[in-house]
Amino acid sequence: MNEQRRQILQMLAEGKITADEAERLIDALEREQPESPPGATPRPKPRPKYLRVLVNSEDNLGGEGPGRVNIRVPLQLLRAGVRLTSLIPPQALTQVNAELNKSGVPIDLTQLKPQHIEELIEQLDDVTVDVDQPGTKVQVFCE
Amino acid sequence: MIPHLVTVGHRRPDGRWLRLYVPVLPVLLVLSPLLLLVVLVGLVACLATRVSPVGALRGTGQLLWALPGTRIEVEQGRTAVLVSVR
Repeated sequence: MNEQRRQILQMLAEGKITADEAERLIDALEREQPESPPGATPRPKPRPKYLRVLVNSEDNLGGEGPGRVNIRVPLQLLRAGVRLTSLIPPQALTQVNAELNKSGVPIDLTQLKPQHIEELIEQLDDVTVDVDQPGTKVQVFCE
Repeated sequence: MIPHLVTVGHRRPDGRWLRLYVPVLPVLLVLSPLLLLVVLVGLVACLATRVSPVGALRGTGQLLWALPGTRIEVEQGRTAVLVSVR
């Protein structure tokens, strides 16, 4: 028995509400939280489909007024993009590595396998980033 | 599902919206001869850079198929830009 139902019955026992009122409250409670049949597995959480990036800035940049950015990208698009990176020829990756090294970013892109990036995208579902600054708010999340 | 409609909008400083609705399939049909040329150029580019043409075609297809639902809105003061793919 859940806590709310117990409270309703308690109020009925104490005479604070009538039996009719208790029945209506319990009905309303059941409508709000439909009970799953015994033995049924709990429904899995629906998988997010989109990556959202929201930026709200009250700062008056360049005298043009406040700015707002609202981006919604399907996660499937990120996956497709990641798969496309596997087509980059190795010699191009070597050149990119050399340029990155020159710029002071020593990242070896040849070590970045498509399956690693796929895993990264898979785990992106749970990512939530909130940045609050006076006058600016940035939110990154999946929905 | 390939994109059906691409909406590109621009709000001018005077507050008026200029919206362009692009029905993808009819536009693709009209531009199909040009598209064929683009595919051929892409094929040559793939062979020149030793990239698998089948993989590139599949990747591009997957990218195109995943586009519906994309929405980008940027507002700065009275001006705004909107790109939406449905």
